[in-house]
Amino acid sequence: MSEAFTSLLHGFSIALTPFNLLWGFLGVTLGTFIGVLPGVGPALTVAMLMPLTIKLDPTGALIMFAGIYYGAMYGGSTTTILLNTPGESASIATGLEGNLMAKNGRAGPALATCAIGSFVAGTIATILVTLLAPVVVELALKFGPAEYFALMIFAFTTVSAVIGSSTVRGVTSLFVGLLLGVVGIDSQTGKSRFAFGVPELLDGIDVVVLAVGLFAVGEALYVAAYSSRLEEKMEQLKGSLWMSKTDWQRSWPAWLRATAIGFPFGSIPAGGAEIPTFLSYATEKRLTKFPQEFGHGAIEGVAGPEAANNASVTGALVPLLTLGIPTSATAAVLLSAFQNYGIQPGPLLFQMQGDLVWGLLASLYIGNVLLLILNLPLVGIWVKVLAIPRPLLYAGILVFATLGAYSLHQSTVDLIILYVFGLLGFVMRRWGMPVAPAVIGLILGPLAETQARRALAISQGSPAVFITQPISATILAISFLLLVVPLIVRLARRS
Amino acid sequence: MKYKTAELILSLSVLILGIAVAVGTSQLSSAGGYARIGPNVAPAVIAGGLILLGIWLSYEALSGGWRNAIPDDPEARGEHRFHIGAFIWVSVGLIAQILLIHSAGFVLAQAVLFACVARGFGSMKLPRDFAIGLILGLGVFLFFVKFLNVNLPAGWLSPLLGGAGI
Repeated sequence: MSEAFTSLLHGFSIALTPFNLLWGFLGVTLGTFIGVLPGVGPALTVAMLMPLTIKLDPTGALIMFAGIYYGAMYGGSTTTILLNTPGESASIATGLEGNLMAKNGRAGPALATCAIGSFVAGTIATILVTLLAPVVVELALKFGPAEYFALMIFAFTTVSAVIGSSTVRGVTSLFVGLLLGVVGIDSQTGKSRFAFGVPELLDGIDVVVLAVGLFAVGEALYVAAYSSRLEEKMEQLKGSLWMSKTDWQRSWPAWLRATAIGFPFGSIPAGGAEIPTFLSYATEKRLTKFPQEFGHGAIEGVAGPEAANNASVTGALVPLLTLGIPTSATAAVLLSAFQNYGIQPGPLLFQMQGDLVWGLLASLYIGNVLLLILNLPLVGIWVKVLAIPRPLLYAGILVFATLGAYSLHQSTVDLIILYVFGLLGFVMRRWGMPVAPAVIGLILGPLAETQARRALAISQGSPAVFITQPISATILAISFLLLVVPLIVRLARRS
Repeated sequence: MKYKTAELILSLSVLILGIAVAVGTSQLSSAGGYARIGPNVAPAVIAGGLILLGIWLSYEALSGGWRNAIPDDPEARGEHRFHIGAFIWVSVGLIAQILLIHSAGFVLAQAVLFACVARGFGSMKLPRDFAIGLILGLGVFLFFVKFLNVNLPAGWLSPLLGGAGI
């Protein structure tokens, strides 16, 4: 533990250099600004802002990304409360009571409990990441390819089958992502797969193009087609921003409980922040002393889910940094940002590039403080961003989203693929297929394939290697049960 | 048998995609070296998965519809009916951008995209929107080319933009 403390102090000495502090500050500001835009979630924010970091060194760039990631979440909660248009599924639970509070003229305290709750949950979760990451690294160093493969299968199962309204549609989305992942040169043999002679496809399909296509282009097509002609009602930010004494008393236990719920969900690859936010909402609803307020804007119902969201998102950095396994669409985009700098997260990252990892972790503490400062007094500015007329807003989003995809390789092929993914995103949204599994499948599929082949190369082609090693066998068994048990239960209930 | 056409078409598309991947996979090399699994194994697994999922989705579509489906009635989703004009304007903007970016250049392509998307979202001030898009595109262009050293095509505006861009 003291070792982690020394490393963290060293991390602060890196994160607090003037330039890194500046990148962190720019990151949280831009992240909040873009995250506030309705319909723009953290995954899209990170993908859109990626080209801005090309001039930075890896440490500075990753510090900026972390700031963007956190900022986008804070910004998103403002939009959710005032407009009730959550930019991602993990914000839906916050909007349930949050928007009702705003309707009753209590937008100020709702935003305040979100901002402070995010700070509390984010900081506690960051401390837990700091303590837990070195432990997981120790464990992960003992993992061979078979264990990694099993963990990736587990991540596939949780992100596609466990969350969402339909297992089969989630898994279909995952397989579409896996299919996109095999396009291009096979890293092991150098053979090209499904590139159809298009040279631009040989490098594979970029996660950024898929994320921007699904989240920006698909979303714009969907909103234009189905809700651009609706009158949108934005709640006014009036009255005091400050929380009363009762607000505090009701908020802080919710923050702490939510952190306890959210962090574990994020840190084991258990499928994103959506489940813990709803769990936290249900917990607060059950424990509250003011049950009559639920459904009319109860502050615990805002404080809990938002804190759970932050704790879980921060917890997701554990599998991302120590194992290289993303458990949400946003983490998948972050992983691709790492890869653009030639960095493959995993246990070796902590040993080979300690400066980078600990600088990044230290910057998370700083980012949380910056966001608290940025959000409480400046919330009025972010609210003005929401007043931009929708036509100009979506036009602007698409200008920047297409720029993000185009500037990767300056290729029109990327723009064509982007539009095709936009159509795909439209169809998936309309017929209820989750998009996050596709994004995760695209980036994690090739990694899983590589690990499987390594494991088989070691075992000289015997597939028994996955089930004779106890850790890998256990993880695979759990994944299998997660997939099959709900089915059996459903069948049993019917008959 | 009662079914929703869209669900059946989508289910069959997944099935056909799986079959197409299977056909494509059969042309891939199976040489796998020590691992004994070549570049064709992962695509084969994916093809098998897509075929199974396609069958499963089709079964759901034909036996009472997809489970927990999104309601077809836009009002139940809090939305309005499919607005074809809006969908087309946004698409036209994106396709025009693809066609223009290497000839007319980045700034003009983004201005056209901006104006078309704004039109799709119901704005009726086309000249104003085009002007905003132009200013936005120009700002982004200068920032990327001058500050980030990322080349963006100047196109028809190269005489005005000097040596900047490609």
